[in-house]
Amino acid sequence: MAGDRPLPLPDDETAFFWDGCREGKLMILRCGDCGTYIHLPKPGCRTCGGSNLAPAQVSGRGVVHTYTVSHTPLPGFDPPFAIVLVELEEQKGLRLVTNLIDVAPDEIEIGMAVEVVFETASDDVTLPMFRRRTA
Amino acid sequence: MTRTVAIAGAGYSAVARSLEQSAGALTLDACRAALSDAGLTAKDVDGIATYPGGGDSVACFHASESLGVPRLNWFNDLFGWMPAGITPVIAASHAVAVGECDVALAFRTVKRPHGRPPPGIGFGARVGGEMQFRAPFGDSMTSSWLAMWARRHMHEFGTTEEQLGHVAITSRRHASLNPVAPLRDPITMDDYFASRVITTPFRLLDCDFPVDGGGAVILTTLERARDLAKPAVVVAGGVFGTGPRPDWDQWDDLTHMASKYASERLWERTGMSAADLDVAELYDGFSWLSLCWLEDLGIVAKGDGGPYFASGKAALGGGGVPVNTHGGSMSGGRLHAISHVIECAQQLRGECGERQVPAAEVGVVSAGGGTMAGALLLTGDR
Repeated sequence: MAGDRPLPLPDDETAFFWDGCREGKLMILRCGDCGTYIHLPKPGCRTCGGSNLAPAQVSGRGVVHTYTVSHTPLPGFDPPFAIVLVELEEQKGLRLVTNLIDVAPDEIEIGMAVEVVFETASDDVTLPMFRRRTA
Repeated sequence: MTRTVAIAGAGYSAVARSLEQSAGALTLDACRAALSDAGLTAKDVDGIATYPGGGDSVACFHASESLGVPRLNWFNDLFGWMPAGITPVIAASHAVAVGECDVALAFRTVKRPHGRPPPGIGFGARVGGEMQFRAPFGDSMTSSWLAMWARRHMHEFGTTEEQLGHVAITSRRHASLNPVAPLRDPITMDDYFASRVITTPFRLLDCDFPVDGGGAVILTTLERARDLAKPAVVVAGGVFGTGPRPDWDQWDDLTHMASKYASERLWERTGMSAADLDVAELYDGFSWLSLCWLEDLGIVAKGDGGPYFASGKAALGGGGVPVNTHGGSMSGGRLHAISHVIECAQQLRGECGERQVPAAEVGVVSAGGGTMAGALLLTGDR
């Protein structure tokens, strides 16, 4: 049913993220001066006050920070389905909303190790999904 | 120089699951009820504020013209992310305090879409803005955003589904004592667990109850309020707050909300503390929100919100600070906390009959969830 999901409408600040996904890379905006990762994309660095920001590739590894299992019908989703907030290993608090492709909703646990896997959703959109990680 | 501000009147329109009246007509009824309560007329009003930003209500001028307000010295239609029901009240109290106007109406009306699609932010085929990072993963609604916060709180503090159930049961018990609450039949823990899951850990009975209706309050100077029909309720403080990462996903610590910042600010501004409270009307768009507010206000320690509800202390006569004495949004209807403001004012005037908190002198009203928060501290005229 993935074809029916709402898909992103990239803009000037977010196009790099979706371009990266299409190329199989998870790109996050990063401050060139202090190294802070900035997500969601913003034009300024909240840590050092700079604006020398550029997309940087991250590992795609993280852990489940929290989740919810939705029983609400939505276009493109078969309830119950899990919405997961993954915290990336690069920085505390750097998180992505996503879905897990290989874990049943009732098996999801906070702290579960996961990694990104890219799924083609349309001709022009690839989504960063996650799967269980063993190493 | 600022003037001390008071709530001089408060009132509702009809409030029910489904009403024929338009949002404008509901607004008119609520504003007229508040004016009548204060012993004022539309001719006395020179300021007005509302939150029309949900696409579910009318703007200031629609109301002022319908009422017959002859001129306005201050008006404020409030849009954007904010605690929708309390923001007009706080804004109007500030306008009166600095002398922009002398008698201000603050209202919030909610007229449900009734079959029309929600004004929605994440249901289209292509979604822009911040929702482009959520909607593609089915994360389009506040229920799922806040469910993830609640889940994290359960993980860190051991908060249980049963404790959330006690929030719902307590609200309903209070609503049963409130003649204008739309849901008044008591519920049990079995009812709670039998209600359908919306998005874990939230069940239907963890959610507010959508209604049509409006509420309004009149703000004026304490000096003037003392000459009016009802005992004045003093606005001791009205504050807002958020933190450095005001984003639903990137918020630093999901176990506290912006309520932490608004609470700190409220006590700092008023010189009072949770120990002074007699009653607490805490926003409850979902059960966990009022539990989190309870903790962030310092009524209980962080993590002790669930046990507080489970022990019965949040209930009227339970020995603690009673929470949501009107039934909150969960059983009293989703009016975005304008009903919490009205209930607190009525408690401090001693008008609440069977659900009256004895000798209530100090009450807190909170609104907002997640990344945005506002709070009011109200006191009797001592």
